[in-house]
Amino acid sequence: MAATPSPALFIRAEWRDHVKSLISVLRDMNKNKALLMMVLPAAVWFVCFSYLPMAGMIIAFKEYRYSREGFLASIMNSKWVGFDNFKFLFSTSDAYVITRNTILYNAAFIVLGLVLAVALAVMLSELVNKRLAKWFQTGMFLPHFLSWVIVGYFVFSFLSVDRGIVNQALGLFGIDPMHWYNDKTYWPVILVFVFLWKSIGYNSVIYLAGIMGIDRSLYEAAMIDGASKRQQIFRITIPMLTPLMVIMTLLAVGKIFYADFGLFYQIPRDSGTLYSVTNVIDTYVYRGLKVTGEIGMSAAAGLYQSVVGFVLVVVSNTIVRRIDKDNALF
Amino acid sequence: MKHGKKSAALLSLVLAGLLALSACSGNSGGNGPAASPGSGSNTQGGDEKPVELIWYTIGTPQKDLDRVNEEVNKYTLEKINATVQMNMLDWGDYSQKMGVMTASGTPVDIMFTASWAFDYVQNARKGAFMSIDELLKSHGQGILDVLDPAFLEGSKVDGVNYGIPANKELPAQEVWRFNKKLLDKYNLKLDGVRTLESLEPLLATIKANEPNVTPLAIAKDFMPLAGYDYLIEKMPMAVKLDTKDFKVVNILETPEMQKELDTMRKYYQAGYIATEAATLDTMNDAILAGNWFTDRAATQPFADNLWSASYGYPVVSTPAGEPTIYNWSVMGSMQAISANSEHPEKAMEFLNLLNTDPYLRNLIDSGIEDVHYKKTGDNVMENLPEAQNYDMPTFSLGNVMLTYLTKDDPATKWEEFKTFNASGKPSPILGFNFNGSNVATELATLQNVKEEFWSTLMTGTVDPKEYLPKAIEKFKTAGLDKVIAEAQKQLDAWVAEQK
Amino acid sequence: MIGVRKKRRDFSQLSPLGNALAVLLAGGFAFLCVFPFLFVILISFTDEAALARNGYSIFPEKWSLEAYRYIFLTGDQLLRSYGVTILVTVLGTLISLVMISLFSYAVSRRSFKYRNFFAFFAFFTMLFNGGLVPTYIVVTQLLGMNDSLWALIMPMAVNAFYIMIMRTFFILSVPESIIEAGKIDGASEFGVFIRLVLPLSLPGLATIGLFSTLAYWNDWFNALLYIDSPNLVPLQSMLMRIETSMQFLLQNSNNPSVNSGLLQSLPQDTSRMAMVVLATGPIVLAYPFFQRYFVQGLTVGAVKE
Repeated sequence: MAATPSPALFIRAEWRDHVKSLISVLRDMNKNKALLMMVLPAAVWFVCFSYLPMAGMIIAFKEYRYSREGFLASIMNSKWVGFDNFKFLFSTSDAYVITRNTILYNAAFIVLGLVLAVALAVMLSELVNKRLAKWFQTGMFLPHFLSWVIVGYFVFSFLSVDRGIVNQALGLFGIDPMHWYNDKTYWPVILVFVFLWKSIGYNSVIYLAGIMGIDRSLYEAAMIDGASKRQQIFRITIPMLTPLMVIMTLLAVGKIFYADFGLFYQIPRDSGTLYSVTNVIDTYVYRGLKVTGEIGMSAAAGLYQSVVGFVLVVVSNTIVRRIDKDNALF
Repeated sequence: MKHGKKSAALLSLVLAGLLALSACSGNSGGNGPAASPGSGSNTQGGDEKPVELIWYTIGTPQKDLDRVNEEVNKYTLEKINATVQMNMLDWGDYSQKMGVMTASGTPVDIMFTASWAFDYVQNARKGAFMSIDELLKSHGQGILDVLDPAFLEGSKVDGVNYGIPANKELPAQEVWRFNKKLLDKYNLKLDGVRTLESLEPLLATIKANEPNVTPLAIAKDFMPLAGYDYLIEKMPMAVKLDTKDFKVVNILETPEMQKELDTMRKYYQAGYIATEAATLDTMNDAILAGNWFTDRAATQPFADNLWSASYGYPVVSTPAGEPTIYNWSVMGSMQAISANSEHPEKAMEFLNLLNTDPYLRNLIDSGIEDVHYKKTGDNVMENLPEAQNYDMPTFSLGNVMLTYLTKDDPATKWEEFKTFNASGKPSPILGFNFNGSNVATELATLQNVKEEFWSTLMTGTVDPKEYLPKAIEKFKTAGLDKVIAEAQKQLDAWVAEQK
Repeated sequence: MIGVRKKRRDFSQLSPLGNALAVLLAGGFAFLCVFPFLFVILISFTDEAALARNGYSIFPEKWSLEAYRYIFLTGDQLLRSYGVTILVTVLGTLISLVMISLFSYAVSRRSFKYRNFFAFFAFFTMLFNGGLVPTYIVVTQLLGMNDSLWALIMPMAVNAFYIMIMRTFFILSVPESIIEAGKIDGASEFGVFIRLVLPLSLPGLATIGLFSTLAYWNDWFNALLYIDSPNLVPLQSMLMRIETSMQFLLQNSNNPSVNSGLLQSLPQDTSRMAMVVLATGPIVLAYPFFQRYFVQGLTVGAVKE
């Protein structure tokens, strides 16, 4: 195997090997010239907008203080604090609660979101009345346009103690009004429901497009073989969508330590009595740093979330690659 | 994966290159802006080139800002050989955008800061502002002359001044505000009303007779007054206002606060308080609709008139506490000089002018005379229709006592303000600002505990008998004792220094 | 030809019962999604005082245009902001479609030697980022985009999430054999991509285009960071400024400095809803046209096949 390019490039004895490998690299690049050109614009973009700013991750290990000479000087002059900035994420019993909540909610979102979005996409694609299907699809997209603040108002108009629609309905059956924002029993269900309501329409578009891209002749062949609609769905549609489902799930797994801040902050109206089921990493960090505003600590939280997500994705990607190389992310 | 190793090496090479690149470019970026200050302005008035100051302040950007800015520049060029580039950032954007700009070293000379927007103490500690102790003496003598010394005393951070407070109301005084219609309707008297408890008979009357009215209109930011001053806003560490020994205590463990919380619980159960007060941002809806009876607010001279005018029906008030000078009331509105300012002296000269020169102050505040306003008396003005294109938040722009009165203002307005300011009693910890950087971890966890319990306890939504011990316990495990010990250490050192 | 397709479809249709069930389920969910939106429109035309008195109601006691009047006070600013938003959305979507489809096509190709490296290169940015301040410095100081339309377009032009999805679409809908065949016919990589691959990938392109359009349309944060000049403020950002500032002032209404005269009677709830209507109305109305256009594109692709 040829030596890899490394700092050893400067050592005379291995000079020739390296030239050889350099040539082979160049030859490879020449062979892939056209595709490399295609990659170039976005790659440059990634360098500018993602990789350059990543230098800023150092802040997670610093007590960041401003310096007259600008940002770089500020980073240089700020004190190293090692892993101190990470401590607040692990220091109390809350650490367990926020980690558990973040993971469990996200797991529910991933699983239910996947099943429902695919189911919806299949249903829409199979509706006999195509015009109706189009209307439905447009309608399902609408929640995507509402901010969490607005959604929060609607949920409140349902769950408010005195004027809420739910309590009024319960009243009709002689049930006492519930203090929804002080009673944590139902919140896991409410949050999952609201999240799915807002996101399924958006996600099902991806699967719908996937279904449209399936080669029609596959279905025709199946029909000739006498396959029922049900069999067509489970033998053709779903398998053909699997790569999309795998990718979407892998990407979601990477974000499993990130919670949707608006959902967990605006929808329960930041009600303290609900924290044990609504506090997630993002809301915890927001509340914790509101007063001190330490950028170092928020960078630390972000880095922690990224690293965990990264590890999880790499592991699950390896598993996926074992099963089917084509479905893997990289 | 034959190429795994190779691509890993390639990746690391690329990354290293990028980091190096970013270091270089960042540097040039940092140095760049300094290179061209004040270019483009004409050299006038001798050998010195006029300086251009960049000023960011809070408020909704105004249409005629540029127009007024031109006038301002004409004047300042003549007076201090400098021009100002005025920038406004809207209320909700200010803290975030200023934060990013400061952290990234974007050139700014003067900026607004306060206890409630672009946090003054926090940013002073992080090094966003320049110390102005020397500058005030050398270029800001006028400010020292007009400003009540308590303003500068109270806005010291670790013994150093970083911003110029606006000369306005100095103490904060809490009052109970009442919807006068309801007071009159039930012939309720305000004599003897002062404490939270003393409100009870009034609230009971309203509750019994007005089912659609919220008797005590409070939202989640409500805190009963217990006679303490907090070291950090709403963190349970506090010092008693009449303290002799400067002891820092957990306010939730004090009998005063416990008594107030019991009262709140009683009121909540009696239905005097909105059921969901602990999650409401504001009761503004009810107040606009007139469906409230009383609430608590901070006052200033002639506040009743102001409130009545803005709600459209009469509002009266009676004190709920003494006028007290707190750190946060002193820091209600300040202008600071950026740590990376290239022209701190000029900036100070400008701020000096802004706080002492009625022409400049009113130009920036109300716009151009006979365009945006016209004068109807010596220091009385009236808005012209154009004023809607230039409507600035008066309190944020330095000395308010230089501004012209409107025709509804009493002629003695500023005298009353001075009397009010003189009546303020300083809090024992005025000028002491806790430095939390040694206990940043604990503060972050405590903050979460606070958010969990604070509003529900303070609004009486939960029973203090059950939840207060829980809260105290959780604060303890989150490290409140350690933070209190640290605070006590700092406070003791500060007290010793004051003597 | 359409007739033929239809006949075949008929043959493969859901059973009447299954169809009814699907209509019921999908329709029910669609209604659940549309209803709040209709409610938003209703509330935006409700009198603020009536709203404060009665809460949200389908039959408002009193109608009012006050909320819109309040926003229209900004006058030509509103129109200009619409203009900026449309320009940024169209330009941005085009740019990002080009960059994303090129990149994801390359990494979808099995014969591309560096496909894993570049896939990883993109994916890595989904998880790790340097945060706000470093990005701000790159955009303003390194690229000098401060206060220009580019600052609204470029930071959102590429997105690793879209790349990963688009790559999957390419793998799914473009068999390697077609590419090989095209190459044998003597077409260049670019030629194959434009003439053979793109027409086959229209559903995917339409999806990414739609997502990208929505992202540009809804973006307000970049404008908050990078735009100072009122001429360049996009719609969402302008409305967001009004909204967050209103919120901020209300939250600080107990602050003696702020409450001294600043708290005019802002129509709070209703104008918030009116903003939603103004901000999303145009794009929601435009959506069916988009859809038709995309579907037409799909049919063309199908016919070619």
